[in-house]
Amino acid sequence: MSLEPQELSDLKSKIGREPTSTELQIIAAEWSEHCSYKSSKKHLKMLPMTGPLVIKEKGYDSGVLDVGDGYVVTAHIESHNHPSAVEPYGGAATGVGGVIRDILSAGTRPIAIFDGLRFGNIEKDQHARWLFKNAVTGVADYGNCLGIPTIGGEVEFDDCYQNYALVDVAAIGFGKKESLIKNHVKKGDLVVLLGGSTGRDGIGGSQFASDSLESEDRSAVQIPDPFIEKLIIEAILEARNQKLIHAMKDLGGGGLSCAVSETADALDVGIEMDVEKVHTRESDMHPDEIMISESQERMLVITSKTKLKKLQAICKKFHIGCSVIGHVKSDNQMHVKKGKETFANLPTDVVANATLLDLPSKKPPYLETIEKERKLKPITDYSKLMIKLFASPNIASKIWVYGQYDHEVGIRTVTKPGHDASVLRLDNGKYLSAKIDGNPKHCYINPREGAIGCFEEACRNVVCTGAKPIGMLDHLQFGSPKDPEIFWTFLESLKGLTDFAKFFEIPCVGGKVSLYNETPAGPIKPTPIIGVLGLIDKKPSVPQKILNNDCLVIIGDTKDELGGSEYFEYVHKFIGGKCPVVDFEDSKKNMFSVLKVIGDRLVKSVHDCSKGGLAIAVSEICMTNNIGCKVHLDAVPGEKLPVDRILFSESHSRYLLALERKNLKRLENILKKNRVSFKEIGEFGGDKIQFVDSAKSIVDLSVERSQKIWLNSLKNLVLHS
Amino acid sequence: MAIFDVHVIIENKPGISDPEGDTILNDLVLKGTKKAVSKIKTAKMLKFTIQEKDKRSAQSKVQEICDELRIYNPMVSKVTIAVFDA
Repeated sequence: MSLEPQELSDLKSKIGREPTSTELQIIAAEWSEHCSYKSSKKHLKMLPMTGPLVIKEKGYDSGVLDVGDGYVVTAHIESHNHPSAVEPYGGAATGVGGVIRDILSAGTRPIAIFDGLRFGNIEKDQHARWLFKNAVTGVADYGNCLGIPTIGGEVEFDDCYQNYALVDVAAIGFGKKESLIKNHVKKGDLVVLLGGSTGRDGIGGSQFASDSLESEDRSAVQIPDPFIEKLIIEAILEARNQKLIHAMKDLGGGGLSCAVSETADALDVGIEMDVEKVHTRESDMHPDEIMISESQERMLVITSKTKLKKLQAICKKFHIGCSVIGHVKSDNQMHVKKGKETFANLPTDVVANATLLDLPSKKPPYLETIEKERKLKPITDYSKLMIKLFASPNIASKIWVYGQYDHEVGIRTVTKPGHDASVLRLDNGKYLSAKIDGNPKHCYINPREGAIGCFEEACRNVVCTGAKPIGMLDHLQFGSPKDPEIFWTFLESLKGLTDFAKFFEIPCVGGKVSLYNETPAGPIKPTPIIGVLGLIDKKPSVPQKILNNDCLVIIGDTKDELGGSEYFEYVHKFIGGKCPVVDFEDSKKNMFSVLKVIGDRLVKSVHDCSKGGLAIAVSEICMTNNIGCKVHLDAVPGEKLPVDRILFSESHSRYLLALERKNLKRLENILKKNRVSFKEIGEFGGDKIQFVDSAKSIVDLSVERSQKIWLNSLKNLVLHS
Repeated sequence: MAIFDVHVIIENKPGISDPEGDTILNDLVLKGTKKAVSKIKTAKMLKFTIQEKDKRSAQSKVQEICDELRIYNPMVSKVTIAVFDA
């Protein structure tokens, strides 16, 4: 149990007596970092959370955005890092299950899943490969069984995740505004636990997530059951349609303890419940175990006495368990009984509101010297180097991953994974674009600029589909907050995200903080993950086939910003240098201009420059379109730089536009008018990827050969090494 | 040296749920008339044929292989190994 002495005395003074053992268990679960956000909550308030499209209601687990015509989109992000590091298949799968129930609890149908996966060095480490392979299978199996498409995400490898895994899952829901659960209850309403039975699996999971992995007893393993989840989804949506649900919450970390106390606190009521009424898997479970069990696939629903019969009938029809475990009272107490005997009776505001911490922060000394560059070995053969990069785990195509996911089920997926962002068709004729991005290599070198970069990259990807960003999700993953240096990096990232969100007026609609991500080798690099949702009012920009003589235009300046780049870290094994910095004004101008030229139908496809820089971005266009391209590095706008820096700098706010030559003049006029830095840098045609500097050939590669390596190397690495 | 058959049974630890077993029980067996059945657990069995000097070393060798290659996850699974003369 992870209650600290100070917290114990706080608890005693708040309730004026010694807590019972059940009360201690409940408090330990609810006051854990995972449930209470005690280290981060004070600071998270800085993020802008309102906007014209944001719908706020008490007790929502997911963000709700109005997309017009009476429809809403919901979104949420969760991580399941600790469970996945111990049991990658079950951990990743139950992670998907959890975030889907968050979407469901607002009364919307989950329509898409995203996953962000991070592991150690899979080239060298067999354990990292095992984690990777099984986590991917876990996400795939769960999503595929549910009939919800997994439409995008990202995969990254870094030595800092040695023997560890970051498994982030985001989900999107869709529904009618009028069907949203209102979360209003009355005294006497019934509290119903619905879904799978409560067992001993995952006992104490949330506390486990709040301790670092070294010290735990590894008992918190959760077993996924996607078929029950599917039945729960259908049962809940049917109950919603019949207006049987007054309030709803999913059971996640902290189990019943958190669900009951948080619901009561959010709705300003009390709940009295009887653990004997909970349907359990084993007969001899202690009340403490029932209260903190994190058995999956369960929902807490509040309904009225008159509607109960109908709700029970629905549960019977779908073969899912349904127990009336308690009722709503007006006294703001969480009262847990077993039969007549009281095991816990606590004020809900005490349970649901841990004492928030104001942790000290201190700038880590390594940041003083990290920007200084080391002398690098000169590159003699860039073509060979490019082949090496195509095969590197971070740059290689992730088709082996998303190929295992059903990304089309539900027939909403207009743009499929493998492009900048995926696009979903909504029922009101609009389209939703979404992407998640992270970059721990940049964030390690500069926590503020790195985090802003992740945000901008996610926006860029969404903009490439022609969508205007309307909301963001943040998932902040760091090491132990008790280390002031780590806490400083957390605060810097958060401040950066806040500034960017305010400048672009993109509200934060949901998020999660995951702390204590420590491996035996030390804390992970700061790993904020940003998800951005974008809305397309008319038709989305679906990439069109690029043909001979089409031209390539770059928007945005290429700068001397190679810190944290794949070129420095993978090729030169050097961690350091100056990481890319987003210029807010340029970023806005470029974003706006790209949306304008997409809207005017001037371009065939738009791709952003990110990992691996210009060299990789151009190659990706060539490889996905089966066409060659000749790029003039001397034409690339920005500072005058050596060729390796132009090729591999990961500067932000850059877009590659492929278009027919006849549209070039009109495009140039728009970009000039918007005072955007741009240049035509190449022409498509032939079957070679070529980069030249004035007349000198720098890279000359066959598209076919590059493609083979790029598409197959990740699979070969996982399955055959 | 002799040849042995080594059976490795991998199942979820007691207390960890077994959705597949539960589904077979609830949605197949109990749907019929076989009400006497109260529990079904699923497991995976691997049958090794191995050359070793005796039963004990055959068992420990197979255990070693399963541990090293992570054929099961020790956090989740219970493993039972039985050795037979081939």
